[in-house]
Amino acid sequence: MGLEQYKGDMEMCCRCSACKFIPMQTVKGLQYSYVCPSISRYNFHSYSGGGRVNIGAAALKKGFNYTDKLLHVVYNCQMDGACGVSCNYAMDMEVLQPIQEFRIQCVKDGKTHPALDKVIAGLRKTGSMVPVKGKRGDWAAGLNIKDATKEKVDVLYHVGCLTSYDKDFQKLAKATAKILQKAGVDFGIAGDAETCCGGRAYQMGYEADFLSQAKKNMAMIKKSGARTLVTGCADGYQAFKVLYDKYDLKGNLEVLHISEYLDRLIKDGTLKPRKKVDISVTYHDPCRLGRLGEPWIHWQGKKIPGDRFVFDPPKTYRRGTQGIYEPPRDVLMSLPGLKLTEMTRIKEYAWCCGAGGGVNDSNPDFAMWTARERIDEAESTGAGAIVTACPWCEKTFNEAIKETGSSLKVYDIVELVEKAI
Amino acid sequence: MALSKEVYKAFEDVVGEENICDDPAIMPSYYNTEFAAVLLPKDTAEVQAIVKLCNKYKVQFRPICTGWTGAFPKGIILLDLRRMNHIVEINEKNMYAVIEPYVISAQLQAELMKRGLHLNLKGAGANCTAMLRGHGHLDQTTSGDDRNHLALEWVTPEGELVRIGSLGSSDEWFSGDGPGPSLRSMINSAVPPGVTPGVFTKAAMKLYHWPGPPRFPIQGLSPRYTLSEIPANMMARYYSFPSVEKMYEAELKIGESEIAFELMGFNPAMVACNITTCNEEEEEVFPRISKEVQGPGFFIILAGNTPEEFEYKKRVLAQIVSESKGRSLKSVEDPEIEGILLCQCVRISASIRETFRAGGAFNSIPIMGQRDLTIKWAIGAGKAKEPLIKKGLIVDDGGAFFGWGVEQGHLGKTEIFCKYDPQNAEAKAAVENWQKEQNTRAFKERYFASTMGPQNEIGPALSNYHLWWKKLREALDPNGVTPEGGALV
Repeated sequence: MGLEQYKGDMEMCCRCSACKFIPMQTVKGLQYSYVCPSISRYNFHSYSGGGRVNIGAAALKKGFNYTDKLLHVVYNCQMDGACGVSCNYAMDMEVLQPIQEFRIQCVKDGKTHPALDKVIAGLRKTGSMVPVKGKRGDWAAGLNIKDATKEKVDVLYHVGCLTSYDKDFQKLAKATAKILQKAGVDFGIAGDAETCCGGRAYQMGYEADFLSQAKKNMAMIKKSGARTLVTGCADGYQAFKVLYDKYDLKGNLEVLHISEYLDRLIKDGTLKPRKKVDISVTYHDPCRLGRLGEPWIHWQGKKIPGDRFVFDPPKTYRRGTQGIYEPPRDVLMSLPGLKLTEMTRIKEYAWCCGAGGGVNDSNPDFAMWTARERIDEAESTGAGAIVTACPWCEKTFNEAIKETGSSLKVYDIVELVEKAI
Repeated sequence: MALSKEVYKAFEDVVGEENICDDPAIMPSYYNTEFAAVLLPKDTAEVQAIVKLCNKYKVQFRPICTGWTGAFPKGIILLDLRRMNHIVEINEKNMYAVIEPYVISAQLQAELMKRGLHLNLKGAGANCTAMLRGHGHLDQTTSGDDRNHLALEWVTPEGELVRIGSLGSSDEWFSGDGPGPSLRSMINSAVPPGVTPGVFTKAAMKLYHWPGPPRFPIQGLSPRYTLSEIPANMMARYYSFPSVEKMYEAELKIGESEIAFELMGFNPAMVACNITTCNEEEEEVFPRISKEVQGPGFFIILAGNTPEEFEYKKRVLAQIVSESKGRSLKSVEDPEIEGILLCQCVRISASIRETFRAGGAFNSIPIMGQRDLTIKWAIGAGKAKEPLIKKGLIVDDGGAFFGWGVEQGHLGKTEIFCKYDPQNAEAKAAVENWQKEQNTRAFKERYFASTMGPQNEIGPALSNYHLWWKKLREALDPNGVTPEGGALV
């Protein structure tokens, strides 16, 4: 069906501009009141959620009118879904889904971005979204971690591309393994058999590559017998939990983000953070753990003829309400000595780190621009560090801090938990 | 109609390469119009330079702020004022705020609440420019329309900069009428044919005291935000009355006693829209609320500066409601619902739920006039909606209208909607016909003369204002670069 299935939704746009801002009731002042990096950076209405769906509606009527400017609009979007949350405070319509379908159509039509093509070429060759050095499971050498493809485990830890291959982020994998071992969890990794979740390929519009990765992963998981998958990557989390489900590939696999799993272990007393972590932090909600991490809702139906945009059977919209917001906060609050101060834009209306939608590859300057805005917001809280729950966020923030000379520290949540146990 | 390379280059030199675009691919994002180009000026000087070039090259233009609604001729230049989004000054002592066009009401209001100040947000919503002329929920106490515009900065259709009001004789923004030129008669309407040509680049908005907290204690997640507690000395209620006469009687007394912070003549359909998070829920809640009310009603917020003042206002309200045989809607007495309505109606953050959510579009007849007369007219306009509701062409809102008294008295704003699916051609035609008929009826039966009605019929009854306006426009815009139409916001 592609874009066509969202024709009615796109025609519902009333051009109110709410998609540009955080939900009106949560606006706390002039500063930090915008929610969409794309319209905030490029200003033409085309870069907003509303502008994008209006272009989509016109494309269905008049055909796809590809120009350089249109492709600039398409590929300068983090696909972070914030527009949809703000829209759906008042409106019943899909926003991110048609934007995603538009991008998928661009890729199908060969209207791709060269930088993203390069990344996808790497994925096809190596099964990774980042340059491959060594083997995927090298980081685990000497850590006595089970190989889930050979031994049965309760929990499969999906490490993710960036955390596996980038030496700066392997510390997250090691910290996670240490915590799980300390908690006595029967877990394993797939090591060299692990492959990219495909989530970022999907965000970039490469649906076929995403599906290929998803099928490979689910075949491996099925073979391993693992019933629970835990990951520390928000992109991976959304892919396994939401996108695989959208395409009916997830089956009964329980998918948990490491912050959810740690929250569970702490609350049931399995894990006891005892050491003081004297630090003042603010927490950044990764888009794909937060608003885009809410479960997929399978629905098929048709509009009831008449005055209202209502359906048979009734349609429940994913408005960001069911995202993972409290578990990471509860984990942080359980760490002795830690002080958490919230930023202005949080939870369902959090500002993106900048790396989503392949923007860090297609337009690194825009990714940095977006990250700098978040760093500025984090600094405004007076906290000494920004904590996140996704290696892509951490990477982007670190790069922005290096550029700006900010003294803010960046941590992943597992790094702080590791300090406390 | 594409701009020539020379003309494009001239505009580009003003705003920079990044802030001009004539790519046809982006035009559908704005409106269903092929603009010659979209420009993003950053300040008044750039607006002036653009307008002067428009005159030089005989290119028509229209500006927009957030751009909600709008109809534009083909081939014109669109000035998207998005980059002009600064609060220039909040003058707490003299109680005004100077803003650029793309400051939205939610932003300005949030800044003001921190300072114990407030403004009359317009009913169009917090997502619209704070400079918008029009009416809002605070009209009873703060008045509406141009009463809240003080000094203005205006780029005329020829590119001249006019500093209206006190700004014309000093650098102060405290008055719209002087010392300095007062041009209220020329800039007094956003409704055709009086859409002021040119561009307002800055405006001073009149401010009022805000007795509430610096920030509402919001909890929960979108779309169901609630308040963790009702702020001290604040209360929200909905009262229904046995008749329109009784409702109006209570409204007048409340105005005369000056007890309301906000009085908004919601109908039950609008209450249902506000407190529900989707269409299906609204369809369920509206009939339930409709059964709870005894007749027409209004929503009211009381706010006291002290517990004593608050108690006094509550007692006065109770007496007025009792005398007019009003009845409180129990659903709104539920603290959760009360909190939702209190916050949403102060912040006007749910107007889209009331207007666009149901079917994607609404048409409206807004009237400013003698409140009792406009109410009588609105009852008829509501009855005229019934056949459309029965046919399923428009949303069933009980045929209700809404409105409120302005300036504590007999003057008032009354409005009535038809919500429909704009993709349904039959519905669209039926609604437009209803609008035309009801405007005509208002004029023929001498309720009021809507400037949205046919000018050649209404104009003669209003001192031929339309002819005077035409002459004014020609004088202001000798090169005809500001076509009629545009966006209200």
